[in-house]
Amino acid sequence: MSDARPGGDPVDRTDEHDHTGHGGPGYTTPQAAIEQSEPEKVAYVMGLYVGTDVDAPDFMGVVDVDPSSETYSEIVDRVEMPNRGDELHHFGWNACSSSCHMDGLERQHLIVPGQRSSRIHVIDTADRRNPEIENVIEPEEVFEHDLSAPHTVHCIPNGEILISMLGDEDGDLPGGFLALDENFEIDGRWEPPGEIEMNYDFWYQPRHNVMISSEWAAPRTYYPGFDLEDVEADNYGQRLHVWDWEAGTVEQTLDLGEEGLIPLETRFLHSPESTHGYVGAALSSNVFHFYDAGTEYRADPVIDVEAREHDDWDMPVPGLVTDLLVSMDDRYLFFSNWLHGDVRMYDISDPSNPRLADQLWAGGNFGPSHPIEGEREVVGGPQMLQLSLDGERLYWTTSLFSSWDNQFYPDEAEKGSVMLKADVDPRRGTMSLDEDFLVDFGDLPAGPARGHEIRWPDGDCTSDVWQ
Amino acid sequence: MPGDDPESAIESYSVELRFRDGPTERIEAPAGETILDAAEEEGISLPFGCLTGACGTCTARLLEGDLDHKRPPRALKERHREAGYVLPCIALARSPCVLDVGAEVQSDLVSNPWK
Ligand code: FES
Repeated sequence: MSDARPGGDPVDRTDEHDHTGHGGPGYTTPQAAIEQSEPEKVAYVMGLYVGTDVDAPDFMGVVDVDPSSETYSEIVDRVEMPNRGDELHHFGWNACSSSCHMDGLERQHLIVPGQRSSRIHVIDTADRRNPEIENVIEPEEVFEHDLSAPHTVHCIPNGEILISMLGDEDGDLPGGFLALDENFEIDGRWEPPGEIEMNYDFWYQPRHNVMISSEWAAPRTYYPGFDLEDVEADNYGQRLHVWDWEAGTVEQTLDLGEEGLIPLETRFLHSPESTHGYVGAALSSNVFHFYDAGTEYRADPVIDVEAREHDDWDMPVPGLVTDLLVSMDDRYLFFSNWLHGDVRMYDISDPSNPRLADQLWAGGNFGPSHPIEGEREVVGGPQMLQLSLDGERLYWTTSLFSSWDNQFYPDEAEKGSVMLKADVDPRRGTMSLDEDFLVDFGDLPAGPARGHEIRWPDGDCTSDVWQ
Repeated sequence: MPGDDPESAIESYSVELRFRDGPTERIEAPAGETILDAAEEEGISLPFGCLTGACGTCTARLLEGDLDHKRPPRALKERHREAGYVLPCIALARSPCVLDVGAEVQSDLVSNPWK
């Protein structure tokens, strides 16, 4: 079951990371990923029925993204979970480019947690178009470690897997991190308990021995939906935690203040030399730039999305920056404004002064409800993003979280999500909607589904880390 | 173990599940079994997520009768509990009950705060 084959012992790591003898997963450098990767042919996308009257389990959809295929832009396979009620959300690989020194290790297994159920599925993608569930870790095994609500999955360079856990076994605080071993069994809690209260996303930069984690809220707070009362009661997060990656201890906590409410997706640049990164503060609708200022990390707001007046709303509509990613060449930052309905592309060649390069509208409260003429209506806004390794194709889905969708885009439960795509010109810094691509999650045998995170079989801009 | 708890061995209550925009079903809920499990056993699917009282996916509204939560219903705020909202995944019937059920009930808990 382990993807570490005999002979897969890690080579000695030196500060000069040795790329000769690379026999492990991924690519030796981010530039190698751009040069050597083939255009993606299938996408794995989380599909959800939780919290609707459709009596079916959530699934992992296999979407055909090969333009030369007859089933282009169709969901060609659905890997159904064994139980209902999971809320599949984020997921990740057993190995990425950070393990490129691990001869024999392969990027083959997806770790797919249930956000609500706390169940963790392991899917074998040896057959890319027909992946299969290989192993299931039941919620009770997770609760034994006084953790629940699994979120982000990153592999650790030694074959282990780390998962951010947002709550304790009751769905209250504190959260923490759960480590899985190379056989996809629970190894235990990664950090000494008590390092953090709230948790959400994390990213590590091993060359600098640093990890940064962000904060959503206690599961019992965000699970039922977004309640302003909880914002007033300080039940939502506004901090970043800077960790000693090797020791698993928090070295510094950055309070982002009012401008940094609900910091979610956290991305370092891909270059292993870089100590720059970005986090999107969803509720404040700001993007923060974080960086090593010499003796400590700092985080400054660098992009402020203005709330906009809308005739049907009593209050100006916040953008809600729910996802962001950095292109593999570290030249562009993309993010979604889920409530407004746009995707933005910023030039980050000067990381502390992002420059808006392009913006594209599709759905949401201000974009066209039919971004592609003659195609179905889009009822949500751009949400989870994924970019091709070569930076030329940006894809997104429209669902945020079942209960939050119900508040802000109630029609999404009945009509289902869509997956859309823009062609990106990284030379000119432009995006254009691909009018030949729309994946309709509303038209599935069991009923309309929500669509969430997207991944490619050969790694992507939100998984791969370099040593 | 059944029989350990004399109450659960003896008592069971009739529970009426009124699906919003749907049929009304009637189940027998043993006193020691959650409403969700009892419904599931009779082949009636109610929505659920965490099964621990934290997420509110299973939220229903108690229209008549009496029930207890076997662990704290953390997903519900005071105002929800006062308005009769309950969590079938951890709810035990204490009398015959009538419940407003279905996936839509959850969305009663919070609305769009800016609209
Ligand atoms: S299923 Fe989560 S509260 Fe009942």
